[in-house]
Amino acid sequence: MSALGRLLRNENRIDFPRLWRPATIVSAVLIVIAVASLLVQGLNLGIEFEGGASWEVRSSLVDADDLRDALEPLGLGDARVQQVANELWRVRAETDSAAGLETVKIALADAAGIDQADVTANAVGASWGSEVTAKARNALIVFFIVLFIYITVRLEWKMAVGALAAVAHDILLTVGIYSVFQLEVTSATVIAFLTILGYSLYDTLVVFDKIRENELRAVGASGLTYTTVTSYSLNQVLMRSVNTTITSVMPVLAVLVVGRFILGAVTLQEFAIALLVGLMVGTYSSLFIATPLVARLKEREDGNVERQLAAGKPSTTADIDIAEQLATADRARSVRSTARGEGHRVTGVSGGRATAANASGVVVTKRKVNRSPGDASTKSTSTKRGADRAPSGEIKPRPRKKKR
Amino acid sequence: MLTRPVAALATIVTLAVGLLLWSLLVGQAPLLGLDLQGGVEVVLEPVDTPENLALATTENLDLAVEILRARVDAIGVAEPDITTQTGDKNFIIVQLPGIENQDDAVALVGQTAELQFRPVLFDLVGGGDIPEGFAFPDSILNGGPGLDDLLAGFVSDPNNTPSDQSAIFLTIAEDDGPPGLPLLLGPTEFTGSALEGAEAQFNSGGGWLVEVTFKSGPEGLDLFNESAAKCFPPSDSCPFQRLAFVLDGVVESSPRINAAEFTDRRVVITRDQGFSEDDARNSALVLEFGSLPLAFSDPADPEAGLVRTVSASLGRDSLDAGLIAGLVGLALVALYMIWYYRLLGLIAMLSLALSASMLWVVVSYLSVSRGLALTLAGVVGLIVSIGVSLDSNVIFFEDLKETMRRGRSLSSAVEGAFPGAFSTVFWANMATLIGALILWLLTVGSVKGFALMLAIASVLDLIATYFFMAPLVRLLAGRFGDKPGLFGVRSLSPGTSMSGVSPASDSEVDA
Repeated sequence: MSALGRLLRNENRIDFPRLWRPATIVSAVLIVIAVASLLVQGLNLGIEFEGGASWEVRSSLVDADDLRDALEPLGLGDARVQQVANELWRVRAETDSAAGLETVKIALADAAGIDQADVTANAVGASWGSEVTAKARNALIVFFIVLFIYITVRLEWKMAVGALAAVAHDILLTVGIYSVFQLEVTSATVIAFLTILGYSLYDTLVVFDKIRENELRAVGASGLTYTTVTSYSLNQVLMRSVNTTITSVMPVLAVLVVGRFILGAVTLQEFAIALLVGLMVGTYSSLFIATPLVARLKEREDGNVERQLAAGKPSTTADIDIAEQLATADRARSVRSTARGEGHRVTGVSGGRATAANASGVVVTKRKVNRSPGDASTKSTSTKRGADRAPSGEIKPRPRKKKR
Repeated sequence: MLTRPVAALATIVTLAVGLLLWSLLVGQAPLLGLDLQGGVEVVLEPVDTPENLALATTENLDLAVEILRARVDAIGVAEPDITTQTGDKNFIIVQLPGIENQDDAVALVGQTAELQFRPVLFDLVGGGDIPEGFAFPDSILNGGPGLDDLLAGFVSDPNNTPSDQSAIFLTIAEDDGPPGLPLLLGPTEFTGSALEGAEAQFNSGGGWLVEVTFKSGPEGLDLFNESAAKCFPPSDSCPFQRLAFVLDGVVESSPRINAAEFTDRRVVITRDQGFSEDDARNSALVLEFGSLPLAFSDPADPEAGLVRTVSASLGRDSLDAGLIAGLVGLALVALYMIWYYRLLGLIAMLSLALSASMLWVVVSYLSVSRGLALTLAGVVGLIVSIGVSLDSNVIFFEDLKETMRRGRSLSSAVEGAFPGAFSTVFWANMATLIGALILWLLTVGSVKGFALMLAIASVLDLIATYFFMAPLVRLLAGRFGDKPGLFGVRSLSPGTSMSGVSPASDSEVDA
């Protein structure tokens, strides 16, 4: 059975912990390069941030495309050309030097068929002023603090650390690419960076949700370390990560390929690259940056250290049957809670009707079916109709009211 | 999960289609940004006097840009392009997307918005005793044609601006209704810089007013109290006990001062004939966001010709390229989703269509009501966000397939997988919404616009997932429960391949 075949059937059992170390090294190297480049050569900021020059051309003989074509050979293909009045054109672009200013003037005068002296030039200030940047920076600081609190409340602080580290990793790498290759950073690029920030966080939270779910299930399974449970969870979400990346990257790739290379729109390229890199790195970091960090932090917890000892030598995911152990743990817990009459809620099998008493904040929702039918929990709590399939199940905190 | 999928589907589809039809019928459409469609340009040139030109430094121009941006932001989410131009002459260019309905925005940009507090020296209509020792021009004392000439002279000369600190001059209280009362005012006692903020309020008496709050101490309330002391009791410099609030050369109100000292920092500005809601809000806005550090010639003056329409800054081909690329991308996504998830993929694409149509309605509505404008980056961003929003479908489908692979029937797996999957999507989207809210509250310009779009996309994603995608999957699972192949699940017979239980031959590690 091929690896791809297993992946498509979600039977992949990749030993993620073994990949974490090389991935961390690769990421660390890339981040060092990114930071070094940012420190040494910085970013190539566009006209919105640094200002530039503006030329006004009065001529009835040209149109915007003529002027744009005249600027293309000067490397100013992304100049903004606007008709501001009848026969009056304004061109805005970045120039590095006074010489460049003159060159542009000559090129424009030639294209418009007018005298050089009739092209007026002005310096243009930054439209994305320092005040906009300052406010955005402050907002980002608040953003990180509030989301740290949010994730801590919703999951736990260790996961908050992991998620925000992954976000920082993604932003640094994406911005780093703009620095290393000196791609122009425009206001659209900045928006793309923010998109990546949102996506990266979202993606990490989806992965963490699965890990959390399995962590709670593994409470009774002493043979499973946090890391093995994590690795199992990553295998579970892998196909989702792959598919989501494919569906989000496809439109961006189309924008890059069709927009840039076929139709020749330079502006699109400026931020499509950021999106392309960011979306892929965002998925990668959830699996290879955020998760290992959390696993490392979690393995230091007392309970988890004991489990590691109990599990003996660290074993690879392939060696142990995690699914089976989790199912066993589910059954054991289910039996215990039923015996204690804690009012845990168990949903039935077929038809999915809820049957049991009201919840105490914890819901056992049956999802996985186990091979040995008719164990204790079926008899005691589930519907009669589902008796042929034993519930194993899953524990999820469900703070909100159940809608059925 | 909703108990009645058919009812849920009917409701959400009716709602979405109804909203779309309504939006199209009333003619709402997304406004395209400056780069794609062009808009209106306002050129603010400093008033041509030596003192004022000396104020037109880079720092002051930057400060003016900041104030202008705050004003434009306060009326909507249009992404203006505000730049300083320096060279032979220094000036500011403000570009706003869209061409229609820009009068208000242009007026707001052009306002110099200086608030002055001046004592009333003579009410020409109301009459009253002429204070002793005060020398009015003869023409006023004698009445007759001289008075009218004087009035005409003041009214027709726009350069008789309130910035003059020493001269006694006259201004007209202007209301929406009949022409206001001419007043003769004394020199400016103090200006709007003594204010901390301003707010439009609807008073219980039934009219709109502007409440301003003074700063405390010598820079604020003390200045007001100094003037109040002159007016109560009346003195030569304030013979009518009235202090006029002059906004941009118009007397908004001239209330009687009834105490020599005020302790409350809040003071209300009313108009004799009432503010309209728009006027009250606009006045509050310009007061709140301060006066510009230098005087600009009024762009609304048609003779100056400083308001003009400008074309798109990007070629039409850029938009075409973006749209074609987006459509190609979406087509690829659709093919992939349907290949991989079969019927579920089709459902995901329908769900996408539904949220896209709701997105169209919301964006169109915000374009009309708040001036939201889609730039090229915005258009592509939306297309990308559509691709990303498929994630909520993918999460559910993967959970569903996993559940089914363990031998559960299709419909039972749907019930089992949805709550967990939706909870994941819900909490992850909450994080996005919190982030968007923070960015919306704390940033300006295009970042603010981005935050808004992010929030809209998240909410629509949740709505489409809960009210459309899930009920539809449930409905079809009931209908085609016996054909799992339609749902992209290959092996269903119990015990064939359970995740985690593999034959020994299959235990190598993929790495």
